[in-house]
Amino acid sequence: MKRRGALGDALVLTALALWAVPFFWQALTSIKPDTALLAVERLLAAPPTLVHYRAVLERSVMPAALANSLGVAALTTLLAVALGAPGAYALARLPVPGKHVLLLAVVACTAFPQVTIVGPLFVLLRALDLRDTWLALVLADTSFALPLVLWLLAGFVREVPMAVEEAAQIDGAGRLATLGRVVLPLIAPGIASAGLLVFLMSWNELLFAYTFTASEASRTVPVALALFPGVYEVPWGDIAAASMLASLPPILIVAGLQRWLVRGLTAGALRD
Amino acid sequence: MTARARGAARAGRVMLMPALTALLVLAAWPALWVLWLSLQRRIPVFGIERFVGPSHYVFLAGDPRFWNALEVTLVFTFVSVALEFLLGLAVALALQGQRRGRRLAVALLLLPWALPSVVTGRTFEWLYHPSAGLLNYVLGGQAINWLGEPALALPALIVADVWRTMPFVALLCYARCLTIPVEIYEAARVDGAGALATVRDVTLPLLRRVLLIALLFRTLDALRAFDLMFVLTGGGPANTTETLTVYAYRSLFQTLQLGFGAAIGVVVGALVMLVAWAYLRAMANEEATA
Amino acid sequence: MSPSFPNVPAAQYFVVRLRRAALLVVVAALAAGCAGGPAESGPVTLVFKHAKILGPSDPVPGLLREFEKRHPGVRVQAESLSWNSDDQHQFFVINLEGRGAAFDVMMLDVVWVAEFARAGWLLDLSPWVSRAELAPHFPSTIEPATWNGRVWAMPWLMNVGVLYYRTDLLAKYRLAPPRTWEALVDQVVRVRGAERDPKLDGVVWQGRQYEGLTVNALEAIWANGARVFGADGAVFPEEERAAGGLSFLRALIVSGVSPSWVTAADEELSRRHFGDGRAIFLRNWPYAMALFQAAGSPVRGRVGIAPLPGRVGGAASAASSGGAHLGVNRRTRHPALAAELVRFMAGADAQKAMSVGGALNPTRMALYRDPDVVRVHPDFPVVHDLMLKARPRPVTPAYLMLSTTLQPEFSAALVGVKRPRQAIEHARLRLSYLLEGLR
Repeated sequence: MKRRGALGDALVLTALALWAVPFFWQALTSIKPDTALLAVERLLAAPPTLVHYRAVLERSVMPAALANSLGVAALTTLLAVALGAPGAYALARLPVPGKHVLLLAVVACTAFPQVTIVGPLFVLLRALDLRDTWLALVLADTSFALPLVLWLLAGFVREVPMAVEEAAQIDGAGRLATLGRVVLPLIAPGIASAGLLVFLMSWNELLFAYTFTASEASRTVPVALALFPGVYEVPWGDIAAASMLASLPPILIVAGLQRWLVRGLTAGALRD
Repeated sequence: MTARARGAARAGRVMLMPALTALLVLAAWPALWVLWLSLQRRIPVFGIERFVGPSHYVFLAGDPRFWNALEVTLVFTFVSVALEFLLGLAVALALQGQRRGRRLAVALLLLPWALPSVVTGRTFEWLYHPSAGLLNYVLGGQAINWLGEPALALPALIVADVWRTMPFVALLCYARCLTIPVEIYEAARVDGAGALATVRDVTLPLLRRVLLIALLFRTLDALRAFDLMFVLTGGGPANTTETLTVYAYRSLFQTLQLGFGAAIGVVVGALVMLVAWAYLRAMANEEATA
Repeated sequence: MSPSFPNVPAAQYFVVRLRRAALLVVVAALAAGCAGGPAESGPVTLVFKHAKILGPSDPVPGLLREFEKRHPGVRVQAESLSWNSDDQHQFFVINLEGRGAAFDVMMLDVVWVAEFARAGWLLDLSPWVSRAELAPHFPSTIEPATWNGRVWAMPWLMNVGVLYYRTDLLAKYRLAPPRTWEALVDQVVRVRGAERDPKLDGVVWQGRQYEGLTVNALEAIWANGARVFGADGAVFPEEERAAGGLSFLRALIVSGVSPSWVTAADEELSRRHFGDGRAIFLRNWPYAMALFQAAGSPVRGRVGIAPLPGRVGGAASAASSGGAHLGVNRRTRHPALAAELVRFMAGADAQKAMSVGGALNPTRMALYRDPDVVRVHPDFPVVHDLMLKARPRPVTPAYLMLSTTLQPEFSAALVGVKRPRQAIEHARLRLSYLLEGLR
């Protein structure tokens, strides 16, 4: 492929920055005083203010929602990886009867629409008296997180050379020990990638969180933002500030852990 | 069977058991239970819970609202996936030759994709604001009610969805582009192929598989889309943005018709599975002929 | 169209300040009047879920503190829901059916009470609230509150659809407030023809696809002499007239008497447009009057309030009533205290504080003649008579199924996606299937 000059590079970057304008616009709105919001040209000129962030942090459910989302997303990730890593190893390396059907079922699970199972899950969680708890959301989110982890990690396990494992087994290590001491460290980057993806999906999830939580004390970030209350007016500035807070973890991940995220994102698709 | 192989089989079962149990309870059981629910008339408000056979499906077959929702779902899916496909491919090809600022480029691309879709919804709601929105301002001070006009609401939703998910297609294609050996391009140049011909004859064929997979993921996601409609239009105006998912959710939890809502949910599930199956068939054929 | 200002104009704040001062006086009087009361032992927290519709001058916190003062050891935590009543309903349904006990007392739209009672989500208040205690409230609020012979909720806020008109414009052309919609259209044509102001719209109302649309469309359908349910339970027995009601609304839009954006308008959008002086007529609830008469309002002193018009050859006038009740979650851990909170909030003193301090209308009829209240709301005696004549939306546990089925059909007819006849036809088809055996 022919290499471009700096001008072409700059052009592409500019185009991508333009694509991201909606986000930057929301960021700008979040630091503008209310009086400047109703006219675009004044919004550009007005001096920045933190009043919306103060309002959101002091007088809305967002701080509690951020804590809930962090807890739910982290626990979902932990559970999905804890259950998924041994399962993925078994699927990739051990003789499991009906392995192909199982793999197909796992893929089918990742594709299954949430709205199809939300009714039965509602009935199930109500029967278990789990509604309005973190556990309800962790379990519900696991229904899509676990298949994804299984699928991604099975792929990463297959990339570990057989010889490494065989060497460990000759040394007398059992299956579990081999998994724990040899395979897991080798696929650690893969686990990080899968974990990041699952964390993001759980952080962003709306339908289950909306259906399975009741009190303000258990609202997650997407629900709190979707139902952000106004009085007579829609508080656009506050909503923009809340949007920024809701975007913080994804932004940190994109900025700091980009490599792992992309790896997870492309792993399933690029493997032959 | 050797003792060692038996041990391996047992270890496999033990290691897989927790994950399988979880999936059975959290995914497989609800997926089967919903079929049973869909054959019931189940309305908790009235204490009604009885078997009615396929009558919900029969009703849906003659329900104008159902057919409208199906049409909205298909239009939304087709148009937004097509746009994501074209734009995503273009971005990937443009990025292929990028020398400097790659990390920044990827970060800019990842940003819309990684944000919660509710944030996307709120962001576009503000951009589309009739009097104070950036979009109407850029269009020269129009007062277009993007989300309130029946003819504009669905296109407005599609734009928001494309903004959010085009980067996914672009990144997958870009990642594949990076694995194409430089020698292939050099060979093409030696053969005297122009830039356009190189893309057509070298890059695109190599991207076929990844494009199919990206399309599969995106199509399945678009068929299930819920968040954007929930935030931006709630299905209105005049139900011009009510997808099957929104229709199902409203039936389930607006009026607690658990059986009727389940029937619509089953249709969404069946549609998704059908599309997934069709794609997988296409991909299998691809591999057979390749 | 009207810009949506992201903050309340300064003048409105000023009014609010005044109101707050008045409220403080009332609350202080309350506190002085009744010291002490029955106390339950141990710290107890009641959660009060209410819609955030009260405006910047929220009198609720003050009242709750007063309740706490009377019940030592009890804390009342108010949690507000989004402003959209469809969202609120969905929230309550999901959580009450999910057997949630995350809240004790809730503010219910009047049309939900029968549904929630039928579902067994509401605590039967009969042991605490007698029929006599309900008698001072508007009769139309008592029917839903006492569905099926028990007391399920107490009336709290009252509403009625009214017609606002610009007194200055009508006087200029020697017009009286219109008694029929046909006359209203004539007046709009006449005034706009003479004013030659392209920014002056005729009549604005609520046509967005939500509960407000159900109300506006039902008023049009009633005015045309049609009912939703016949005596035998048939849906839209006067089909032709029902479609005629929708056709009239559509014609308002097509002829330009109403701007096309009314199909996306809710109470506030339409109120604001009229309040900016950009419409001759407005259909809305009584709360808007205080905002029109606030200092700095462009239409201050130029707004009149009248009954909604009828139709030529149809019913005389058909304004929908509305409002909110207070009910108790059946799964509450503190039934007696929760019932006590409901009685307190629906009581005469608290309702007085609500109407003096906020722009809200009480359900107690006597307050509309109370000098302290009338001083703040001079229009209350007129509103009182309109409320007495108001027509409730169908009182049925299946109301939400009814309304959510009608909304998309009505909306489709208004924007021209379906013909009115077709919309009524589709609504009947769905309702006869969904409501089968439910009423």
